[in-house]
Formats: sequence, structure tokens, C-alpha cells
Amino acid sequence: MPHLADVARFARSLTRDDARADDLVQDTYLQAMRGWHTFQLGSDPRRWLFTVCHNMFLRTIRREARYVDAPEDDPELDSLATAKAHWHATVTGVADIVERMDLGAALDRALARLSEHHRGVVVLVDVEGQSYEEAADVLGIALGTVRSRLFRARRLLQDMLFDYARDAQFATARNATPDASADAARSTRDASHPRRDPG
Amino acid sequence: MTTSHQDDAVRPAPIDCEVAVRRLWDYLDGRLPEIARAEVEAHLESCAHCPPHFDFARTMQRALAASSPPAADGDEDQLRERVRAALRRLADESR
Repeated sequence: MPHLADVARFARSLTRDDARADDLVQDTYLQAMRGWHTFQLGSDPRRWLFTVCHNMFLRTIRREARYVDAPEDDPELDSLATAKAHWHATVTGVADIVERMDLGAALDRALARLSEHHRGVVVLVDVEGQSYEEAADVLGIALGTVRSRLFRARRLLQDMLFDYARDAQFATARNATPDASADAARSTRDASHPRRDPG
Repeated sequence: MTTSHQDDAVRPAPIDCEVAVRRLWDYLDGRLPEIARAEVEAHLESCAHCPPHFDFARTMQRALAASSPPAADGDEDQLRERVRAALRRLADESR
């Protein structure tokens, strides 16, 4: 069975769920068998299977009524916003926390929260290492749309990483509060009842 | 004079921080024309603010490239069998 490992990896990246990914792989090969006549001889079969897989993924999403129309993005503004958000995170110390985080695990969570449109393009280009042109071919969208969705997706991923870091910062501060209160209480108590120095 | 004109021809034009960061992802993806790329690189060499943005973006890209979910051992064989069986059923149904 050609390219099964590649298609399975792509399906896992899209669905972020092993069981759903296996269903998607099965649906992909069934659809490929049904639509074999649409395959153009001489074209890349792996890319064609990725196209079928992504179409089946979107079909599942539509069936589950989670589909949201692709938004219009402005790629250069997204680049600018990415840098601005990083600047803000640096000033507030959030960027330092992100650098100490397990980025792989955090990105895994963040990818699962991206819309299907943004996830599809970021998985193809950044995870699978495909070119913009290959991604455009797989997704059936214009090159400019790949670029705009990709830049928006990366910006959203970075924003989510900063959100996770802020949550961690907040949790640390909250956990530190009882200790601080206890310290304060202890110091008040000690001030009221000073220990007698030995000797 | 001639030398100065030649230098101007090859020297990238100065760009400000906003222009540089608008090109952030195009630069990291290697999709800028040569002159625009040289302008970004010249800016990064002399700017105290922009390099950390580019470094962080590059770090995130590398982490994404390494984030492909791994398959558990034996899962692929099971999946292959499952897909084969489904394809056989489809073939039988269409006969």
C-alpha cells in the first residue's frame, strides 16, 4: 500500500487524535480507490493521497458541523503582529517562560486548537516540510492563500504559546501566595511573641 | 565617484524595524527576493530589537518541524491490515 506511513502521519497531524486519524486513513484509501480515475498519470501519488486525505478531513469536519469558512488574512500584518506580540511577551517576562517550556507539548496543544484551514497549511509546510507550491496543490488553494493562512496560523500558534506561559506564570504566582501569607502570618506572630534568645 | 556609485548599487537600502518584521516569515521561509533579503540581514546586523523576534520565530518553526506525532510500534501494520480489509470489502461490493 503506497505511502501509508506518510498519509498516516499527515492524518495524525490533522486530527490530533489516533482513532480519528486511523478512520481518516481508511477513508482516504477507500476514496482513492473510488476516485482512481482522477489521478493523473505522471503526477505525484503521495501528494494526490494527501489531497484526498485533506478533502476527507474537511468532509468529516463539515459532517460534524465544526467547519468554519476560511478567513481572509493579511500576511504582512500578521508578520508585524507576530513580532509585536513577541516584543510584548519579552517586556512582560512571558517570553522567558516560553523558552523554558516543553515547546513540543505546548505546540501539540496549540495545533489542536487551530481551525482546520490554518492547521492544514501549517502541518503541510512546517511539520511535513512541503513547499508553498506543494501545499497549494494538496489543498487546492492559491499560493497567496497558502502564505496568508500560514502566517496567520503561526501568529496564532505563537499567541497560544504566550497564553500558556501567562497561565503558568499566574499559577506560579497563585501557588506562591499561600506561602507568602503564611510567611507574613509567621512574622506577625513572631513579632507579637518574640523568641527568647538562648542564653 | 564611480566607486561610490558601484557601492550604492550593491549596498542594501536601510529599512526600519516595521519593514523588517513585516518580512519576518518570508525571510525565514527563504522566499524574499535577493535585495529584500539583504536589506533584512543588514537591518538585523545593526538592530538591537528585531533579532530576538526572528530568533524566536525560527525556534518555533524548528519545534513545529519536530512535532510530527510518532506512530506507536505495530500500529502501522494494524492500520495497513485494516485498510486492506476495507479495500477488499469495497472491491467485493463493486463486483
